Order: sequence, then C-alpha cells, then structure tokens
Amino acid sequence: MTPLDTLFILSACTLAVAWAFGRRPAAGGLIAVLYGGQILALAKMSGLASGALTMIAASPSFEVLGQALSWRFDGPAWFFALITLGAAFASAWFMAGEWGEGYRRKGGRLGLLQVALALNVSSMLLLLASGDLLSLFIGWELMSWASFLLMLSAGGVAVRWAFKYLIYALGGAMALLGALAWIHAQAGSLQYAAVAGLFATLSPGQAWTLVLAFAAGFGIKMALLPFHLWQGPAYAETPGPGSAFLGAISSRMGLFGILVVLVHLAGLDLLDRLLIPFTHLDARDLLGWVGAFTLIVPTFIAVRQHDARHLLAWHGIGQGGYMLIGVMQGDALGSAGGLLHVFNYATYQAALFLVVTAVVHRTGTADLNKLGGLVTRMPLSFLVMLVGIIGLAGLPPMNGFVSKWLIYRDLISSGRPLMFVATVIGTLGTIISVYKLIHNTFLGQLRMEHEDIREAPWSMLAPMLGLIVIVFLTGLMPGLVLDWIAPVQAALGLPVLDHSLGGVDLPNGGLDMLWVVGLLFAGFGVGALLFLAGNRHRYVHPLDNYAGGHFLTTEVRYHYSDDFYPGLMHLIGGWYRGSIQWLERALVSALDFLAQWSQAWFRSAQPALWLLGVTVFALWWVV
Amino acid sequence: MNAVVLAVALPLLGAFLTPSLARLSLPLGRLFGPGLLAFCLWLLWGIARALGDATAGVALGGFAPPLGIAFHLDRLALLFALAVPAMVLALWPWGGRPREWSLTLVLAAAATGLALSGDLFNLYVFYELLAVASYGLIAANQRPAAQAAALRYLLLSAAGSALALLGIALVYTQTGTLNLAQLALLAPVSLDGPLGLAAFALLLLGIGVKAEAFPVNTWVPEVYATAPSRLAGLLAGLVSKLAVLVIVRLLLVVFQRPEATQLMLVLGVLGIAWGELAAWRARDLSRQLAWSSVGQLGIVFVAFSLPGETGVLAGLAVALHHLLVKPALFLLARHWNGALEGLRGAARRAPLAGALFALFALSLVGVPPLPGFWAKFVTLSGLFAQPGPLCSLAAVVILTATLVEAAYLFRTLTLLFGPGGEEPRMAPHGALDLGTATAFAGLLLAGVIWLQPLTGDLHGIARQAVDMDTYVDTDLPTPRP
Amino acid sequence: MTPPPIEFLLYGGALALVALGLAGLVMARHLFRSILALGILEAGANLLLVLAGYRAGGVAPILTPGTLGQPMVDPVPQALVLTAIVIGVGVQALALALALRVHQAYGTLDVAEVRGRMEADTDAAAGLEPETSRDLPAVERPS
Repeated sequence: MTPLDTLFILSACTLAVAWAFGRRPAAGGLIAVLYGGQILALAKMSGLASGALTMIAASPSFEVLGQALSWRFDGPAWFFALITLGAAFASAWFMAGEWGEGYRRKGGRLGLLQVALALNVSSMLLLLASGDLLSLFIGWELMSWASFLLMLSAGGVAVRWAFKYLIYALGGAMALLGALAWIHAQAGSLQYAAVAGLFATLSPGQAWTLVLAFAAGFGIKMALLPFHLWQGPAYAETPGPGSAFLGAISSRMGLFGILVVLVHLAGLDLLDRLLIPFTHLDARDLLGWVGAFTLIVPTFIAVRQHDARHLLAWHGIGQGGYMLIGVMQGDALGSAGGLLHVFNYATYQAALFLVVTAVVHRTGTADLNKLGGLVTRMPLSFLVMLVGIIGLAGLPPMNGFVSKWLIYRDLISSGRPLMFVATVIGTLGTIISVYKLIHNTFLGQLRMEHEDIREAPWSMLAPMLGLIVIVFLTGLMPGLVLDWIAPVQAALGLPVLDHSLGGVDLPNGGLDMLWVVGLLFAGFGVGALLFLAGNRHRYVHPLDNYAGGHFLTTEVRYHYSDDFYPGLMHLIGGWYRGSIQWLERALVSALDFLAQWSQAWFRSAQPALWLLGVTVFALWWVV
Repeated sequence: MNAVVLAVALPLLGAFLTPSLARLSLPLGRLFGPGLLAFCLWLLWGIARALGDATAGVALGGFAPPLGIAFHLDRLALLFALAVPAMVLALWPWGGRPREWSLTLVLAAAATGLALSGDLFNLYVFYELLAVASYGLIAANQRPAAQAAALRYLLLSAAGSALALLGIALVYTQTGTLNLAQLALLAPVSLDGPLGLAAFALLLLGIGVKAEAFPVNTWVPEVYATAPSRLAGLLAGLVSKLAVLVIVRLLLVVFQRPEATQLMLVLGVLGIAWGELAAWRARDLSRQLAWSSVGQLGIVFVAFSLPGETGVLAGLAVALHHLLVKPALFLLARHWNGALEGLRGAARRAPLAGALFALFALSLVGVPPLPGFWAKFVTLSGLFAQPGPLCSLAAVVILTATLVEAAYLFRTLTLLFGPGGEEPRMAPHGALDLGTATAFAGLLLAGVIWLQPLTGDLHGIARQAVDMDTYVDTDLPTPRP
Repeated sequence: MTPPPIEFLLYGGALALVALGLAGLVMARHLFRSILALGILEAGANLLLVLAGYRAGGVAPILTPGTLGQPMVDPVPQALVLTAIVIGVGVQALALALALRVHQAYGTLDVAEVRGRMEADTDAAAGLEPETSRDLPAVERPS
C-alpha cells in the first residue's frame, strides 16, 4: 500500500463523512481535520517535492478497451495537490464554525456544500494523479462536474451561471474528447510515451488542430480569452468558502492540463515550429499573447465591478494569464515565475475570498457601495485584506512580488518588450482595482447600520491569518517554494531554476527577498522610530472636519465609493461594448434558429414527400 | 436447439389465447402473457448457455436451406433475442386491456423472429407483423390524437415496406435466392453493380422507418408524444434496435460495400443533427426524449457504418446503452408528462426519480466512467481511424450534438431540481415505474463495475458477427448447392 | 415498327404503378387518397415481384410418360407475393378503420388539418400554449 493509496483512501473517507454528516455544522470540524490528514499524507510523499523520488504509483490499475489506466504522483502532481489540499483545508476550517451554522440557518444546503467540496478535492486528486491520457480525461470530466455541483449549491442566481459554466466546460470537454479519440485512432495507445511519440511525427495541420483542441479544452477551464465570460459571476455566486476554493485552485487545473499535454508531451519546440501564416508568430507566441490579453481585459472588467466577490472573481481570470505567460516563456526564470504564481495566487486569493465572506457574514452585503470604514470594527480582517491585496498587486514584501518579478525579469531578458508592457498594464489594473476593494470595504466612513458589528469569529479568522502568515513567509523566503518547483520543472522538461533561500542570483541583478524585506522593515523601523520619538501625532476623529461651512455628521454619507475612477472608466468604457457577450448570444440564437428549422422538418404535413425525394436522390446517386 | 422456435411460436399462440382467457378470468389473463414471456426468457437463456461460442442453424420444418427457411443462432442474434422478452416483461402494460396484452405478445413474437431469422423474406414478414402490432398498440388508447398519429405512421411505414419489397424483388432478380447465407456467397458477384446498391438503399429506407433513420423519422415525435410511455419506451428502446440489427445483418452479410456504409454514415449524421437540434426546442418531456432517441439512433447508424469488427463493437455498445437508458427515461416521463415548465421542482418531491434522471442524463451525455462514455469513445476513435473527411466530419457532428444534448438535458434537470413544486401533479411516481427504472439504473452501474468482462464479451460477439465463413457454414451445411 | 416486347410493357407498367402510388402518397391532400395511393403502390411492388419470377422457356420438372413438359415460371415469388398481398390487405383495412375513427373525432380527413388538430390536441394534453413569434429581436446589438 503506497502513500498515494493512503491519500486516496483518506479522500474517499472525507467524502463519505461529508455525505453522511455534512449537513450538521458540528461535523465541519471533523471534515477539516480529515483534510489536514490528507495534507499529512501528502507530506509523507515529500520525496517528490525534494526531488528524491520521481514517481509514486497507486495500486489500482485497470485495463479497458485495450488501454491501461494507471495513477501516480510525480513532482507537478505533488505541487498542485498541495495547493488543492491547502485551499480545501482553509475553506473547511472556515466553514466549520460560525459560518456553517449561519449558512444553515439562512436556509443554505450545508450538506451539499460539504459534499461538493469533498468531491472536488477527490476528483482533482484523481486528475493530478493520472498516469495516461485516458485517466487524465476521466479525472478532468469528474472534476468539471464536481465544480458544477459546487457552483449550483447556492441555488437561485447561481444556477443560471452554473449552467453557463456547464455549457462552456462541456464544449471544452468535447474538444478534449475529439483530440483524445484522434490520438487513439492514430497511435493506438493513450499512454504518455506513445502520445509524445505521436506528437513528434505530426504534420503541421494535424499538430495545429491538436494544439488548438487541447488549448481550447484546458483554456476554457482557465477562462482564457475568449472563453472568459462564465468564470467571474459563476465563482462569485458560489457560497463563500466554495468560492475561495474554486478561485484558488480550480481554474489552475486547466494550467496543469496545459503543462502536461502541451509543455511536456508536445514540447515547447513543437509549439515553436507551428507558424501562423502571414505573421512571424508561432503557436507559443499565440498562447503567450492569449495569456497577456486574458491578463488585461478581465482585470479592467474587475475595476468596473461594484460587488466585492465579482471583483475578486474577475481578478482570478487575469492572474491565470500571468501564469500562462510565465509557463510559455519556457526558460528557467519565466516558468518558475509562472509556477510560483500558481502557489502565491492560491494563498492570497483564498485569503481575500475568505475575508470578503467574513465581511458578508457580519454585514450581510458584499456591495462595495454599501460598505465602508470597517477597519475600526474588524481590524484583523483588515490586516488580512491588506496583506492579501499587497500580494495580489505584487508588491514587496509579499509573495506575489517574487513571482511577478521573475516573470518581468524574464520577459525583459528574453527580449519581449511588448509583452512586458502588457503585463505592466495588467498589474496597473490590479493595483487600482484592489485599492478600490479595500477602500470601499474597510477605509473611509463607517455606516450607521454597521456601528454594532463585531470582528469575525476566531473560527474564521484563524484560517485567514494562517494564510497571510504563509503569504508573508513565502514572500520573505521564496526559496522554500522554489525548492518544490524545481522537481516540477524537471519533470516537465523545463530547465530548472537555480535559487537560494531569498530568491535568485543572476549575473546582471538578482533578487534576494531577505535583503528586500529587511531593508523594507528597516525603513519602516526608522520611520516608526522617528514617528514615535517625535510624538507629534494627535488622534483626529474622521468626522472632526467640515466641508462647505458645515460640520460633518454621522448619518450623512461622505464616503466616496460610487463611480470610482471616473476618468479611467470614461477612457476605457468605450472598449467594453459587450462584443463577446453579443457573440455568445448570437451563437445561441443561431442554434435556436437551426433548431426551429429542424423541428419544422418533423412537423411537415406530408412526410412521404421527403421519402420520395430521398428515394429519387438515392436512386440517382446509385445509378 | 429446435426449441428456439418456441420463442416465436409461444407468444403468438399466447396472443390468440389471451382474450379468451381474460374473458374467463381476468387475473389469469393478466398473468398469462408475462408468464409465457418468462418461459421464453428461460428457454432462450438455456439455449444461449448450451451454445456458448458456437453458432447453430435451425432449419424450420426440416427443410434445409436454401430451399427452406432457417433461423441463424449466433451470439449477436441470441443477445437481441434475449433482450426481447426481458424488455417486454419490464415494460409490460399491466394496466391495459386484454387486446393490448395480445398485441404486445405479437410484438414480442415478431421481434424475436426478427432477431433470429436467416431468410430475407422471413425478415420482411416478421417486420410487417411487428409494424401491425405497433399500429394497434399506438391506437389502442382511443385518443383521437393517438389514432391520427397511428394513421400517419402507418402510411409512412407501409410506403417504406412497399419500397423494401421492391428491394427484395431486386435482390431476387439478381441472385435467385433469399437465404442470407447463400446471398453471402452470391452477393459479391451478383449484387456488385448499381442495382445491388439500389436494393440496399430501398431496403435501408424501408426498414429504416422503424429504425428512425433520417428521411423517414418524422413519425417519431407524434407517436411518442401520444402513445402511452411504456409503449414509447418499448418502441424507442427495443423495436428500433431490432430494426437496426436487421439492417446491420444485411450490411454485414449481403451488402459489404463502401458505398453502402457511406450511405448509412450520411443518413446517420443527418439524423444526429436533426434530432438533437429539434430536441433543443422541445417544450414537453415526451417529445424531447423522442427527438433525443432520433439523435442517438443516428449515432448508432454512424457507429455501425464503420467497417469491420470495430463498427459492430461500437454500434453494439451504443445500441445496448440506449436500450437501457431510453426506456427507463420514458418510464420516468410517464409521470412527468406535460409541459417542461410545469415540472419545476418536481425532483424535490421525488428525489429518487430526480437522481435516476440525472444518472441517465450523465450516461447519455457520456461522462466517464459510465458506459455511455466508453461507447462514444469507441465510436469516435473508430471514426477518426478512417481515412477521408466524411468520417472526421461525422465525429465532429457527434461531439457538437453531445454538447447540444447536454444543454437541453441539463436545462430540464435544473428545472426539475429548481424551486417550486407546489402543484398537486407533483406527486411521486408509481412504485412499478420507479422500481423498473431503478433496476435499469442498477444494470447500467453493473456495466460500469464489470466493464472489462463486458467489453471482452462484446469483442467476441463482434468478431463472430463479421465472420462470414462461419455464417455460411452454419446455415448451408456441405454439400452446397 | 415492331411492337415493343411484352416484358417492357409489363415492367414499365409495374414501375408506373409504383410511381403513381408514390406520387399519390406525396401529393394527396385527403387521407383517403393516401390510402388508395398506398394500395396502388403495393400493387405495383407486388406485380414487380411476380414479374421477377418469369423464366423464359421454363419447363416444369415433372415428367410423365408420353407428355412434354409444361411451361412454368418460378413459384417462389408468387408465394412471396401472396404473403405480401395478404399483409397489404390487412394493413389497408386497419388504415381505413383508423381513418374512420379520425373522421369521427375531427370531422375532416384533410391531411394538413388532421395534422394541425393532432398537434393541437397533443399540446393541449400536455398543457402547452401554442407557440407564438417573438416580439423583439433575439439578440441586442452591441451598444
């Protein structure tokens, strides 16, 4: 019995417990402990993370239709599984206490939520452990349906968006199935070795079809442009901890698929050889630019949102673009940046979603125009959001800075200035929208109806604080996570990054976070000394102020939150005409028209007419 | 071995005895038909066990083929012959009148004959018998809409049968025989030209009426919407598969030509496209299921059009999967008839029925590890392995159709599980319907668990079905004429 | 000019019957005409099958001393056609019975009207309103 078997069995146990007892809020603690147990089982396999082992196989294996199905963990699987289980653990811990009881009391289906979460985790582990293309597809389908179930669990508006997700996801799955069937027809086998061998022998047309099919299939899950319309609202409407889990890791499964198939099996040199006619671009550039546009467009859609959950959900799409850019760079620095961003993003996105859920739990609303000034009532939550935002924006000393720095550095040194500008624009969009988030929620004027709210309970604060501790520590010492990434790069055939505990050492300017954070805190320390020693500060109440000759009073709202960034919105508003939404609806309407046409066929008054027509045609064709 | 004829003769006899028995004693009449069918099932099972992997020919009346009519028993024939009494028993019209029981027994007899027969005209006769039984059953419930639907179906089906008769005439003029085994020997020479292809086209169109083939499937939504749901399940699940079996036998034994498979492929693709698109706009569950079955049968046609053993394997997988799923869905639809909008929240009151519907929908769409996925995968892989753009186009059409199918099936499911459900119609299903549907679901899940032995068996059946030497040797023992 | 051979007339006639039957089925606007056309179609098909049995110069293989062999044709198609005729008669009778019922219920046998009434009845039994056209375009244009 291998450690991987133990992990699977624990995962199945968690699912069983969630099914049997999930609807009781008291069982939430047990379920969280079980997720922790899964993390421990994963830690047992840490040989994969340190590079000591390359593979741990699972015991069951089947043979169906002449194809052998097997499951095993390697470096990339371990890395992604760690993120999955970490996100699940944090969500389950969050759900275990007051939030679960509150959700149940408001009529939510807690049992369904727990089961859906456990099902998601199990199916993702299955997907990550796949040892051949067929088991990859099986895991992919199970994971897609599990996500659908999780998105559905809130009911109401969420059902419509979950249905939209389902159509997109199935479209991607059909593209994957087509590619799979084609490979099976050509190569006879779906083992990774056979597939890699097949890729080497394809003509450009065939290779393009396969690459586009796989990119579309996996890209829909990652919400790459132009398939990005479903993810924002779908993730936002999922109940709180569920959205934290989905936002953290669910779309990254698409990246895992791209890594396994396009980077490892097909190889980046194959992508280099596929040229787009009449341009100097190749498939790799295409994917890189898709990532760049995925970074820019949804990030600026996020700026326009006035619901905190929608804002965060739209950001998730954009950050996926970063990861794709990094991975598509293909060298040690860039791919390490992309992979590191997966981990970093999961930590602060989960923290941010959990904070917003805590705010919703306390105040009852996520509408940014109806919040404000909560820093006085929920200081620890504010700290969590502050750290999360600094991470999301990619500023030191948090971990987001390291991964973004690696990507910027790589883009400049590999001579891609345009893409560097695109990523900077994306970061700019991120910074301005996260400022909007924290300003409208925590800063500014406290509303009258929120005078009596308390800080989030410890059952919610503990996982959030734990996450931001991880954000800070991995920002301070990125070498810890880069250690785990080295075997991932090795397993995927990418060059491995040389790193130290603090960062990377490069001939013309490296990064050492220990120094950076040290200097930052030293600077703050000096500033604090000056501030405190001088003692020239006086606490002023926010309303001790006047405007236009009148003193300010509590019941009047002075907090500036509506129409944030009007100048910017005016500039970019003209670009957001909803063209892709129009395209979506036009496709549905075309389908409707075709369907009406084909129904009319069945409604023909004289069916024998068609029989005659086809008989005549068939006889003509025969003779 | 000769006892296999009882499987056809006994239900026929039972059909004629049932009305008199029912007049004597209604409970006796009610149990007589199912009892007969159970006996036939046991009989066929014994014959299948005894036969094992071998094939056997039964000369009716002792007249050796090709002069006499023969029943050809191989694993494929016995598989479908076993399916007939099993499905008819499962979908028996317990609440009907004695005339419906008689007609159902005739349907069972004709269907068994279709599966086993080895002579072309014998197939025609059993086909007509099946058709007449179905006309009667559709019209049995006295609703004017049902009788109009039965009449329109009759006109189309009888026209198709006349065309099939023309095809048989063509075959007879070219070869001088109607015995399938002898046709297998003579066809490569005599039926090679355009006349042979014309014969196939006519036979395909004629028998294709029951098989819901493309140009002749306009009867499907009318009949399935007005007929009782059990009958619709029987027609969609069992009868259509037997018609497809007849066409496949003809294809394998007599008309082994690329043009013939191409014709089947084209008709299949058109059937898929038209069926799934029409289902997208359906406003009530019976018609949605009817169009869905048109689409699925299109996939069956496409799968069987693949050459060789792969084709038979793929087609068998898809056909057997549909055989399990569609009647169960019709059973669930029996209580959930009426407008889809009126079904809001129905699954909240009937969670088991909702879960079963979800399971069947997932299997139809092809979610692994359910059997529907494996069937689709084998079909797609076989299509991509063929050269030429037509097969790849067919594969793309199947993938797109699956997407459309998932869209409308899950739109229905979200309606079923959505909020609502206060109407009094939303009472739970009848116990028999729910029990039978659960049994079918159990069989589906058993197919998942025992997938490896099942695929091995299907491989064996397919291999035997394409082996023409064995076919000929079984029916025409040496010396050959 | 020599008269056309008899086979040409017979085969042509049978095919013409089939064509008439099919044309009648397709173009009929009254269900009774469809049933009549079906009868003609079946008659044509049966005739073709009988004609397929003709053997030029066929001699019966039954010899009695002193007599020459009698001319004969292939008996198998005639047996088949007997079966087919009987099936056809039965089906036509059933069709007429159904048509009578439909006429009693709907008061008309016009094909389009019957179809319309059947659809309306099915929809009404399911509780569906008749479909109406949209008032607005399906998709707004991008602003």
